[in-house]
Amino acid sequence: MKNGVGHASRLSSLLTPAVFSILLALVDGERHGYGILQEISRRSAGSARMGPGTLYGSLRCMLAEGLVEEAGEHADPRSGGERRRYYRLSIVGRQAIQAERVRLTVRMAESKYRLCRADPRGELACS
Amino acid sequence: MQLTPMPPALTLSERLYCLLLWLYPPKFRRIYRREMLLLFRDCYREARQKAGIREIIRFWCFILYELIITASVEHYRTMLALLRHLMGVEEKELLMANALLSLEVAACTDKGIKRPSNEDSVASMVPQDAQVLTQKGALFIVADGMGGFNLGDVASNLVVQQVSEYYYQDTNTDIGTSLVQAIRQANLALRQYIAAEAEKDFDARRMGTTCIAAILHDTTAYIANIGDSRAYIVREGQARQISQDHSWVAEQVRLGNLTSEEARSHEKRNVIYRCLGTEDDVKIDLFTEPVQDGDILVLCTDGLTNVVRDEELAAIVTQYNSQESTARLIALANENGGPDNITAVVAHVSLATQEQ
Repeated sequence: MKNGVGHASRLSSLLTPAVFSILLALVDGERHGYGILQEISRRSAGSARMGPGTLYGSLRCMLAEGLVEEAGEHADPRSGGERRRYYRLSIVGRQAIQAERVRLTVRMAESKYRLCRADPRGELACS
Repeated sequence: MQLTPMPPALTLSERLYCLLLWLYPPKFRRIYRREMLLLFRDCYREARQKAGIREIIRFWCFILYELIITASVEHYRTMLALLRHLMGVEEKELLMANALLSLEVAACTDKGIKRPSNEDSVASMVPQDAQVLTQKGALFIVADGMGGFNLGDVASNLVVQQVSEYYYQDTNTDIGTSLVQAIRQANLALRQYIAAEAEKDFDARRMGTTCIAAILHDTTAYIANIGDSRAYIVREGQARQISQDHSWVAEQVRLGNLTSEEARSHEKRNVIYRCLGTEDDVKIDLFTEPVQDGDILVLCTDGLTNVVRDEELAAIVTQYNSQESTARLIALANENGGPDNITAVVAHVSLATQEQ
């Protein structure tokens, strides 16, 4: 189903920046907690920082809302060989990213439109 | 969830963090203690390798700050969950009293055979929250975008998302007004998008989309329409088109200049005179129809209705469940050439009697 939104209106209030970052970090495959943090930090070139409390607090809500699924526990040879719990994106999670993408596009268009109107010569806004 | 034993060798920092984890609510701690400790160890190691003692101090400051905030948030959430649980009994009673309408829904869209991309969008929202369902009903919406790649699909997608969002955010209990208002707002959002986009891409001015939206609430269907996507109610094997197409050929049929058979194959069959995105003040048709137990609501784009007859549509949705129906409708449209994007929402309505 393309562009399907399950319960988007409720999701939009749930999609905090942390939740959205976690969703994006899981787009290309399952990861464990540390893997998610590394991915977020890598994508933002180290500027975005998230702690364990925010990560697991968000993951718990995301699991409850069905945005992510647990993908079992297994060892990651790259970080010590301890067994770790992995998480993966669900279909609802993918839809939520899509919904957020559209929401942001609209916000962007709206701000551009308002700036252009306020500044008709377009020196500041419309570049 | 199983509690796995701790890894043996804990450093001083880890022991300290382990103690601090007691600040979280017990249930949260039970589920995530081990994971958080492992994560702490990894991050700590990373900090130490990066810049030694200064980085470790910064790291600890961050961890403490984050811990205090998130522990408070988790306690707050736990309390909220407890409160909800205490009130849960009342919520269930409300659900029983109002569970008159039950729906079996499927939505599906397909590129078709001839088009390079899919510019249709669809959403079906049956709120899980009983109170929201009672107050606002279930929303189904289909939009057929125009303008070509990266324009038509954005237009239809934007409208579908925005209508869903605006409709459920609006607390107005007058369903029809609320639905029309949501579409009006979505149209303005689309207009803004087009205006901004047209600064750099002249083609953006060609963007637009049809929109057919239906709310099932209690025993009534509210159907709003702009363009030539359609809403049908199928009852006792007969399909009845509720919406009126805003297309040139439909106008000619209404005036008696064309038969509906001629209209299906007319070269101007894709010309519409009303859609979203072309003007700020758009005229939206609203239809209000009573629904009965066993009715089937169908929303679709012209990619379906141009190649599948009403009788065929009625036969399919009457015979099969929603999931199977949408798949078969799309397959049939593709067998008949699939000249356009095809989208269908099928909702089987069951109404329990008041006594149950």
